[in-house]
Amino acid sequence: MTSTQFSLLVGDNPFHGISHLSQQRARTRFDQSQENVQHAANLVALSLENGADGFMFSVDQTTLSIIEQVSQNHNGDPIRLYAIAPYAYEYVRKATQNGGVSGLAKNLAKEMLFSSNIKVVASNAAGLLRLNLSALLKTYVAYELSRIKAVAKKNVILESFMLHEIITDMTLALNLKDLCKTYITFLEEQNIRPGFETRNFPYLVNKFREWNIDFSKITLTSAFNKVGFQMCPSKQECEEALSRACEAEVIAMSVLAAGYLKPADAVGYLTGLSGLSGLVIGVSKERQATETFRLFKSGLPSVELSDYVLSEVKM
Amino acid sequence: MLTDGSRLRVGVIGLGKMGVMHACLLNTFPHVTVAALCDKGTLMRKIAKKAFPNAIITGEIGRFADLDLDAVCVATPIPVHYQIIKEVYGRGIAPNVFAEKTLTSSFRQSLELCALAENSGVNMVGYMKRFAVTFNKAKELLNEHVLGDLVSFEGYAFSSDFSEVPKGSKISEARGGVIEDLGSHVVDLAVWIFGDLTVESATANYRCTPRSEDDVTFYVNGLDGLQGKFEVSWRKSGYRMPEFGLTVHGTMGALHVNDDELRLELSQSPPTRWYRHDMDDNVRFLLGGPEYYRETMHFFNSIASGAHTISDFRSALKVDFLLEQVREKCR
Repeated sequence: MTSTQFSLLVGDNPFHGISHLSQQRARTRFDQSQENVQHAANLVALSLENGADGFMFSVDQTTLSIIEQVSQNHNGDPIRLYAIAPYAYEYVRKATQNGGVSGLAKNLAKEMLFSSNIKVVASNAAGLLRLNLSALLKTYVAYELSRIKAVAKKNVILESFMLHEIITDMTLALNLKDLCKTYITFLEEQNIRPGFETRNFPYLVNKFREWNIDFSKITLTSAFNKVGFQMCPSKQECEEALSRACEAEVIAMSVLAAGYLKPADAVGYLTGLSGLSGLVIGVSKERQATETFRLFKSGLPSVELSDYVLSEVKM
Repeated sequence: MLTDGSRLRVGVIGLGKMGVMHACLLNTFPHVTVAALCDKGTLMRKIAKKAFPNAIITGEIGRFADLDLDAVCVATPIPVHYQIIKEVYGRGIAPNVFAEKTLTSSFRQSLELCALAENSGVNMVGYMKRFAVTFNKAKELLNEHVLGDLVSFEGYAFSSDFSEVPKGSKISEARGGVIEDLGSHVVDLAVWIFGDLTVESATANYRCTPRSEDDVTFYVNGLDGLQGKFEVSWRKSGYRMPEFGLTVHGTMGALHVNDDELRLELSQSPPTRWYRHDMDDNVRFLLGGPEYYRETMHFFNSIASGAHTISDFRSALKVDFLLEQVREKCR
């Protein structure tokens, strides 16, 4: 559970054909790469060779296969994994094909019961039968952890398990404090750092303060970029909230604003922010994998310092 | 929003993907209380009870009648919109109604609901693309006549929702067909931007089930000789999220717009491109997409001011009229 090392993480969006800049562009690129797990695994490996030290991914069959391949041939420090679940798209697709949310829930329940840690299922059996949300969440997280552990056997360390932004932001919207605390406690018991991905960073920071959640024990991932893209409600409020969440491990995503910014432009903005613990960038080409992480490694000169304070960096 | 400190009591009907999303979003508005939720499914009701411990959770819309609701959000499958909204007005459940698109499954039903809504409060249909920054910018530019006289346009609405569904599967039936489900959004955008349209011809493919069309192509005519073509499909591969777009041709150039970007190509000028990044796309609470927050905000602002919403039942009627023509031409 490291929180003092600045993390440079490879993201997985390009491997799913996602671009928040232009879906049209993502489609063209994704078609070209032919959904090639081997190609993606090579890009992750290349990124790791050039300065990245971890992989942030949504838990699905593609990324699990990538991890399996990369970890088998990896030498050096263990690859730090930051898992995000649920992979929303996969579940939305399943909901469509199972006749809606209700159909999805029934099918997922079956999968969870047969694939999760039997101890977790047994200890939550009563709660599951009563459809207790905490019991459901714990069983679900155990199910996703079991999927990750099945492939992450060597040369990797599961640094953090994060709730996908849809679930995090719904939890915030519904004021589900107890559910949130149960999730944190459950992951701590598994020696995994609990994390939350959010598109509403200031809202989360305010709620978590109100709920007395210990920021030093959690990882937060949210958008931070020079143009304020997806920094809701505003860039200024997100930056201000960052200063109130500095005890947490905060990983910046969308640092290139989905490809709108050049890496060199992004570095300048990030060095001026105080409170970040790392960043995640997706790459879709070998040249990007090489150059981007080299640039960020050299452009953020303190990344190798254990007590990383970005505001002290002079560029 | 309300300035007197009072809270609006809102009920949500239908707890599928959209209903859950609306319920969550509503709960973040400081002047709103989600007072009641209704769903036919036992499982969703049980989950809702945990998430909304202070709300009335029911399977029967009749339970909403005495709750003194200010507004309801109807997010059920389209085929039951008509019956539900009729009941909302008929029983006086709430004066203000927000319905997910389309208003109903037929022009006749929508016309009837428009009449019922006439003497009630604010009404709105969730054509959220009207609240997307790219389409707003496109409308703004076209209102400024940047393309000169409009000649033609092409619209599309694609998703991969049923691209892997085998022939004969009936799972798409509950969503009422692709014309309503996806096509209505791009038709609404076109009607919003170009005004009234009439259908010239239409063809449909029914690959999954004969009761629900999967791919539709249709041609329309508009004002001053404007001609348009629409392509709609929920079986396109590569569209992990539904995508909507328009290309507009005028005497002075062309404009391409979709959810992500806007490109203006004028004769004798280099093209100009705007991404969402260039248009302040942030909202107070982001869930699903910024458009959802903006449309909800617009609904409540309209309730507070007593003004019509920009996508009220009357404007949605124009979409239903066009969709009806498409269905007739496809027969």
